[in-house]
Amino acid sequence: MVSDIKQVPDLPAGKSSPSDPELSSSTPQHEGHQQGAPGVPEMVSAPEAPAAPPRNLRWLLNRARIWTRRSLILVLRVSRLVALGVRQLRPALRFLWRSLVRRWRRSLEFRTVLTTLLLAVTSFAIVGAYLSNQIANNLFQERLSQAESETRYNVKQVQDTFDGAQVTDQSSVITLVYDTLNAVEGRGSVVQRRYVFEAMPEQTKPRNRWVESRASDQLTVRVIPPELRKAVQEGGKQQFWASTQFPVGNEDHPGIAVGNKVTFNGTVYELYLIYDLDTAQKTLDEIQSVLWAGGAVLVLMIAAIAWYVTRNVVSPVSHAAVVSEKLAAGQLQERMVVKGEDEVARLGASFNHMAASLQEQITQLATLSQMQQRFVSDVSHELRTPLTTVRMAAEVLFDAREDFDPINKRSAELLYHQVERFQSLLSDLLEISRFDAGAAVLDAEPQDIFQVITHVMEGAAPVAAEYGSEVRLSSRQKHIIVEMDSRRIDRILRNLLLNALEHGEGKPVQISVAANADAVAVSVRDHGIGMTAAEAARVFDRFWRADPARARTTGGSGLGLSIAAEDTKLHNGWLQAWGRKGAGSNFRLTLPLQQGGVIAKSPLLLEPADIELPGTTPERQMLVWGSGSGSLGQVAGTAGRMATDLHPKDLNTEIGEEK
Amino acid sequence: MIREYITMKARILVVDDDEALAEMIGIVLRNDGFEPVFCADGGQALEVFRSSKPDLVLLDLMLPGSDGIEVCRQIRGESDVPIVMLTAKSDTSDVVRGLESGADDYVPKPFKPAELVARVRARLRPGEQKAPETLRIADVTIDVAGHLVTRAGERISLTPLEFDLLVALARKPWQVFTRELLLEQVWGYRHAADTRLVNVHVQRLRSKIERDPEAPEVVLTVRGVGYKAGS
Repeated sequence: MVSDIKQVPDLPAGKSSPSDPELSSSTPQHEGHQQGAPGVPEMVSAPEAPAAPPRNLRWLLNRARIWTRRSLILVLRVSRLVALGVRQLRPALRFLWRSLVRRWRRSLEFRTVLTTLLLAVTSFAIVGAYLSNQIANNLFQERLSQAESETRYNVKQVQDTFDGAQVTDQSSVITLVYDTLNAVEGRGSVVQRRYVFEAMPEQTKPRNRWVESRASDQLTVRVIPPELRKAVQEGGKQQFWASTQFPVGNEDHPGIAVGNKVTFNGTVYELYLIYDLDTAQKTLDEIQSVLWAGGAVLVLMIAAIAWYVTRNVVSPVSHAAVVSEKLAAGQLQERMVVKGEDEVARLGASFNHMAASLQEQITQLATLSQMQQRFVSDVSHELRTPLTTVRMAAEVLFDAREDFDPINKRSAELLYHQVERFQSLLSDLLEISRFDAGAAVLDAEPQDIFQVITHVMEGAAPVAAEYGSEVRLSSRQKHIIVEMDSRRIDRILRNLLLNALEHGEGKPVQISVAANADAVAVSVRDHGIGMTAAEAARVFDRFWRADPARARTTGGSGLGLSIAAEDTKLHNGWLQAWGRKGAGSNFRLTLPLQQGGVIAKSPLLLEPADIELPGTTPERQMLVWGSGSGSLGQVAGTAGRMATDLHPKDLNTEIGEEK
Repeated sequence: MIREYITMKARILVVDDDEALAEMIGIVLRNDGFEPVFCADGGQALEVFRSSKPDLVLLDLMLPGSDGIEVCRQIRGESDVPIVMLTAKSDTSDVVRGLESGADDYVPKPFKPAELVARVRARLRPGEQKAPETLRIADVTIDVAGHLVTRAGERISLTPLEFDLLVALARKPWQVFTRELLLEQVWGYRHAADTRLVNVHVQRLRSKIERDPEAPEVVLTVRGVGYKAGS
């Protein structure tokens, strides 16, 4: 009997089964599932199980095994698909991330909106957390104090009923206890509070103790936290409470358990009243969802506002950026749109003002420089025809000078030479004016640079002989095909070589050629008077001379190196000078192998490594040009023999032999 | 040496509007045994050319009346006579335009008398005694002595300069000619000169003898070096 009573919460089948489908699904019954009726309660299907024939059961087991295997395969396939999807998705995700980062860097608007959004979300999260915490606390406190006072009242009622009871037989005692406890649950269809009624352990069992424990529907003593029980058992007459969870229907509800001691027939019982907090929880959930929704809407609105405001401020700025980019690209007529009278409009107006004055100045300058260049070019052209006549006349006189008396002879000579000089000056001037006018065009095609170099050396041979200088060419390569305007490169190299001979004081002049993956370099090194670093920096300036007092022996125009620099610029190349007083100078021309190519590094050093440094031995100096071991493809010849000796073909054989 | 072949004084038409220069050129030419004829107006150049039947024309590129280039085109339209341009403009486009309109060579102002005479002589050179010789490049046949170029029996008309250029290439089909070498052999330059001369004339030659000038078969370009005859 007692055991029956103890099972009270679990036992009443008729009471629990209709409202408790959970039981049927949680019990591992094959039949229930395999018959395709998972909704059928256990009470209905259970009696059929033993009646089912064993063959049917085996078949069912087989089916189950097959289905298990099939579902396993399906799961594997799905997981493989998912993995594939992730792998396929990764580049897309990376792309998305990169574009976001780029957006962040480049767009002020995007950055502002995103920052505002993040800050708004953070602040709403903080405020929301605080609010919901506060509300939850208040709700709980209110419910708790209500629970405590209700418990006090109810426990007193129960105790009074027990104290005043005059029953001695078992059935009436049970009835009394049950009725009293049921009354605690409250009236009406809604259960106001639940109870757990349990005899305190470790008591000597009185004779008439028929009630061991009793609890509301679905409850056992296990829902009471052990700490609370301990507190109640060890405490005196006072009340204790604790938060707990208890099952109601299919779900667990949060609740407050308030515990007390009650005495009946000399037995001390623990009486716990449990108050459902579900309504409070539901209210809280509702408030929280309202908070969430409100926060989300507010955040979105803030983002929209930020976007709108930023856009209003940024769009004129980005418009200004676009317009100024166009201006910089040469579209001088480009202007900003000006609306209203605010700061942005003022910016636009002053921007437009600036653009207008810029346009005016640039147009003026362009016209001016165009006019000037036209003038120079026209003057040169107009001068050429009379100059031709003068030159021819001078030459006729010069050729006949032997028939003249000494004074007329000398005059004829002077006339002849100065006309020559005048002519070279004029042609250089014309060339420079062509560069200034931007009329110089590159007529590039692939050609062997050695061809040009040999040609220049041949041309300079008489001058080299005159100075008594030796011109040496050294290179490790046989052919270097460069996309270049050979006429201009010829002019540059001729200029450099004549310059080196002029300042070389009769010492050897070294031409070195080397190439790397994207560039070719030709350096012309003399060991003459040299120049300081400051002079080397100015050497490409027009009409600049290191020593104005120095005799103009070769009668150069003073424009040769400037033209060389312009020619180099046209090739996107480098032309650099190095010099040291008394140690000679080195001019290095570096050209990209392909037009439009970029030079990363020149294949030759600008500062020649043959400079005598303290402690350097002559042997080490010899390694300079090859920049490798001793396999220098060096060819030496006197200037007069160059035409035959220094042909690239001969150079090749020499290099070949050395290797 | 060259003058040995010139039995009579070569007549040279000087078309130049600058009287002083024309006179000076006349002095120099006469000095070297030529017979100059003058014309100061581009509009009359063609008439004078027809009446004087010169052996060579010296033509100033900038002329009043009609453009030097136009005059050049007119003369070239009715004669293969060598034309040497005098030019004050050494701008690429002008020189190339002049060469394309039919000039064989040009002398940029200011020039030396010797330079002018050398240019004139080089163009007047009657060529070596030509042995009867037949050359072939691709499907083009060249009769050197007869100064005749045919392709599939069809005669192709070339100026003497273009003919010389083609013969130079055809004689040594195994050799690649640099532009400098061609300048020396065909134009008679002893020193460096403008290699554009070669480029422009090769283009003109191609436009006459190639089936498709865009994809040449007779005169081939050797990248970075020069030209050679096709096989």
